[in-house]
Amino acid sequence: MKRLLLASLVLIATALGAGCANVNAWQRGHLARPDMQLAGDPLAKALNKTYAAKEAGTGSAGVGEGGCGCN
Amino acid sequence: MMRRLLIAWSVVMLSAPALAAELKAGDRAPAFKTALLAAPTNEFDSSALRGKVAYVDFWASWCGPCKQAMPVLDTLYKKFGNDGFVVVGVNKDAKPADAERFMKSVAVSFPLVADAGNVIAQAFNPRHMPTGYLIDRKGHVRHVHSGFRSETAAELEAQVASLIKETP
Repeated sequence: MKRLLLASLVLIATALGAGCANVNAWQRGHLARPDMQLAGDPLAKALNKTYAAKEAGTGSAGVGEGGCGCN
Repeated sequence: MMRRLLIAWSVVMLSAPALAAELKAGDRAPAFKTALLAAPTNEFDSSALRGKVAYVDFWASWCGPCKQAMPVLDTLYKKFGNDGFVVVGVNKDAKPADAERFMKSVAVSFPLVADAGNVIAQAFNPRHMPTGYLIDRKGHVRHVHSGFRSETAAELEAQVASLIKETP
């Protein structure tokens, strides 16, 4: 019974793990679209930047830009 | 028996995304046939690169450094074209209209090709955008440029100048 449970867990974990597919570099065009950004609204972006600067803590508002991994 | 099966299953399932290998210096450049972006009915055959020094550049309109690279590549193409240097730009835009808009803003004289079925991208498997593969006259990849920085231009020019002196 214990073995069966372990086997089931491994099967589920590997099946879920395999679902985490890599997005190839050349397929990141959709991710680079402005409406795909975490902070797509320019005003919200500016406010976040100001907030981060005032609190001396950047990175709390997620990642900006995206796509080619170059920004 | 059960344990072996589980190990085999885990290896196969978890290694699948990592199976595709990146083309690196020393590898033979893959051959490809594809349509020209400017004239989709015309085919571009990589056999035209045989005996020449070629730079295969993967680009897209959504990639900032790709835009920076284009004028530099065009300058090199014009400078070394008569010595047997060819640049081929492989477009990776999902929508052809995006590529067309880009081509209007950044005009280049070297051939730009489509890769609708991702056949070329899968063969070269670039890990960044842009990525350029400098291929020698014998068809081997000699240098891979991942991304495009200000120092890449001079580096690439020196590499092209060196490779065009080599005999096929």
